[in-house]
Amino acid sequence: MALSFHLKKGFPGFHIDVSLDLGDEMTVLFGPSGAGKSTILNMIAGIVRPDEGFVRIDGRVVYSSEEGIDLPMRERRIGYLFQDLALFPHMTIFENIAYGLKGKEREEIEEKVKEMLVVMRLVGLEDRYPHEISGGQKQRVALARILVTEPTLLLLDEPFTALDYPVREKLRTDLLKIHRTYPVTMLIVTHDQEEAFVLGEKMALINEGRIEQFGTKEEVFYTPRTRQVAKLLGIMNVFDGVVHRVNQREVIVRHQDLGLVRILKRRGWRFREGERVSFAIRPEEVMILREDKPGKADNPVEGTIVDIVEKGLQNTLYFKTRGGASMLKIDMPLFAFRKLGIERSKKVTVSLKKECIWILEA
Amino acid sequence: MEGVSLYPLYLTLKVSSVATLFSVLAGFWVALLLAKRDFPGKHLLDAIFMQPLTIPPTVLGYYLLVVFGKTSPVGRFLEDTLGITLVFTWKGAVLAAMVASMPLFIRPARAAIEGVDRNLENAARLLGRSEWEVLTTITIPLARKGILAGVILSFARATGEFGATLMVAGNIPFKTQTLPIAIYDAVQAGNLYLANLLVGIITIFSVLTLYIVNRFTGGRY
Repeated sequence: MALSFHLKKGFPGFHIDVSLDLGDEMTVLFGPSGAGKSTILNMIAGIVRPDEGFVRIDGRVVYSSEEGIDLPMRERRIGYLFQDLALFPHMTIFENIAYGLKGKEREEIEEKVKEMLVVMRLVGLEDRYPHEISGGQKQRVALARILVTEPTLLLLDEPFTALDYPVREKLRTDLLKIHRTYPVTMLIVTHDQEEAFVLGEKMALINEGRIEQFGTKEEVFYTPRTRQVAKLLGIMNVFDGVVHRVNQREVIVRHQDLGLVRILKRRGWRFREGERVSFAIRPEEVMILREDKPGKADNPVEGTIVDIVEKGLQNTLYFKTRGGASMLKIDMPLFAFRKLGIERSKKVTVSLKKECIWILEA
Repeated sequence: MEGVSLYPLYLTLKVSSVATLFSVLAGFWVALLLAKRDFPGKHLLDAIFMQPLTIPPTVLGYYLLVVFGKTSPVGRFLEDTLGITLVFTWKGAVLAAMVASMPLFIRPARAAIEGVDRNLENAARLLGRSEWEVLTTITIPLARKGILAGVILSFARATGEFGATLMVAGNIPFKTQTLPIAIYDAVQAGNLYLANLLVGIITIFSVLTLYIVNRFTGGRY
């Protein structure tokens, strides 16, 4: 199972130029609204015609501007889960699921649909119409309708947006199960970071029609390559400094406010002393030290909590350094927040763990 | 008191039914083309097909005479090769009613086809169905209310067709004299009883038609 493509398309004031080579992992196309994600899906599916490029699914070329190949949608064998699901409102659930099985024997159709009803927990709903079932059920019908045709590639456009939280959790389990059970390449489009993290194994970060970074989700989330990627991931804690010293295990960067910041040296890093660099740390990796147990911590920074935003199980704190020139965003679970007795204007010391800091490309 | 003939009523129903059939068969493809495709000259084509709504019926009738009359190439082809005479026959009345009523089919049909969610059609294509199957299993069933409204409206328009019919088919009793023309004739002859009767029939029919259309479509067309 594999998908590879290179797609180019120009719009007024906007240009898409992307290429990817995917195996059978679940891959997420993540990026802000208007980055071109849905258009990329539509070009793969044949709904939108690219200006040039190619799309190859399992070695089968379905589009190639060079070879003059442009298979119609019906011959691409792609399962497409539309954001609005696109269930046929004038057909029953059974008819919806059986729609893609045309041309097969009646018994075979019935058997396959029934099997799919069981797998997708839809038994008993087959005679209802789409407007008579719940949002989560609709989503499963849409998936069933696609999977019953045994596509080689599954495209999902923002699969979670229409769902409530508890239903999202179930859908996620369903998708993971599907991915284990059916040999299918999955490409998921989302602008939701949580969705991206939960569903993706690989992640391609899309911005303004281009892929900013592609890798495992951990790589992209925790080691954003550029300042732009860090910004798109909502990592506010990005700082500029100058490389002070480089040794076997650490890169030490001087920052005007944070002082000397020790960063764990990663493989492939070649920074020279005196070089200007940016470095970042995710808000959830910033640790507030307990007053009663100062101990030894990486990169301690003294300062004040200036603002607290409560978000349920997690709180976001804004921390200002003692010098007052730098602000750090800190995400912390509620239990830790309570245990530390944090309140506004409280003076605290935070630690920036050296293995959690990452140097960005310019 | 003269005897009242219901022949004009019968003729009107016959002419209108045939005219509606033709205007739906032809108009559907026009509606589909206008709803689904973008091409140069689309607005012009749209304007031409909508002409019968705004142009005076006598002018429309004149055009039809010029194009389909015995002296025109089209008229001669129809007469010599196919044996169809349009001018001063009930078939001419069908032609006039068809052309006059087509825009009333095209408009609601086009709007209904445009209203079908493209994602549904694309979903059907991606599930392996051909364009024809998408049209017959998705587009038409989902646009059925608008299409039906168009059928009824164009039939109603065909029954009321007067000016163009008079120009093309004339006013020949028991041959081309449809209900509206018979009303005109009755008034001219001072036969108010007949005029009132026919006017009554056509009024009830017209009100009933619009009522049914509104009931069906919730007043959208």
